[in-house]
Amino acid sequence: MTVGNVTAVGNAPLYVTELAARRAEWAGIRQAAIAGNIANANTPQYKTRDIAAFEADYARTRLNLERHDPRHMQLGAVEMHAEKVREGNAWDVTHSANTVSLDEELMKADETGRHHTLATSVMGAFHRMLLSSVSSQ
Amino acid sequence: MTPVAGPDPLSMISRLSGAGMEAQTHRLKIVAQNIANARSTGGTPGADPYQRKTVVFSAELDREIGALSVEVKKTAVDDAPFTVEYDPAHPAANAQGEVKLPNVNLLVEMSDMREANLSYEANLQMMKRARSMITATIDLLRSGS
Repeated sequence: MTVGNVTAVGNAPLYVTELAARRAEWAGIRQAAIAGNIANANTPQYKTRDIAAFEADYARTRLNLERHDPRHMQLGAVEMHAEKVREGNAWDVTHSANTVSLDEELMKADETGRHHTLATSVMGAFHRMLLSSVSSQ
Repeated sequence: MTPVAGPDPLSMISRLSGAGMEAQTHRLKIVAQNIANARSTGGTPGADPYQRKTVVFSAELDREIGALSVEVKKTAVDDAPFTVEYDPAHPAANAQGEVKLPNVNLLVEMSDMREANLSYEANLQMMKRARSMITATIDLLRSGS
């Protein structure tokens, strides 16, 4: 079975749920990054940040900060994955060197929301299929 | 993307948007102050009138959620020159009969208000969206029944 550019291992049906869960998680993190952008829509010098596009394969790994003391600064998922949007790619740069465009952010939020709906719907559909195969008389 | 431990991104959104709304509310409060004091002169002859206030935002790392949030860094005053009107009968008039009036421009305040309103609404939209995403996730529990 092939989903996108990912080939499932064997016939494991639950792999779809895993993929959907990752997609939903990605959507959540991206939405948080967008919320941060919108909150800082009027902050001087603030540069728009975005999360890298969703990748289903495990090939790309990132270096995560190791915490071995509770006093160490904890970085959330957003800070872990955030990338600055290059100035040339931003829609709008204001005089205060802020690159947040509310229109663009709301558009991205809508798109990400759609991805999240898709992921949760897929998860729900497969869950229902699983339940119906288990509970049918 | 490797899963990261830490606060749930979806609940992070309401906190970030909340911080944004709080900052914009503060800005609106300052705008209201400026408009209310648009004609507030000094009490003694030649005294300086009300000076227009401005807000400075800055992006700060919210340590509890580990993400860049926003907060009001400071409330500064506008150093633009005061407008002067000739009104010898006014208690704040100087020897030449000139009264200093605040450097508040109502048009500027109105556009500032509109912008703050717009940003506030954008934050509110994000909060609503986060809420619907959380509901969609919780509804997964219901989809089987």
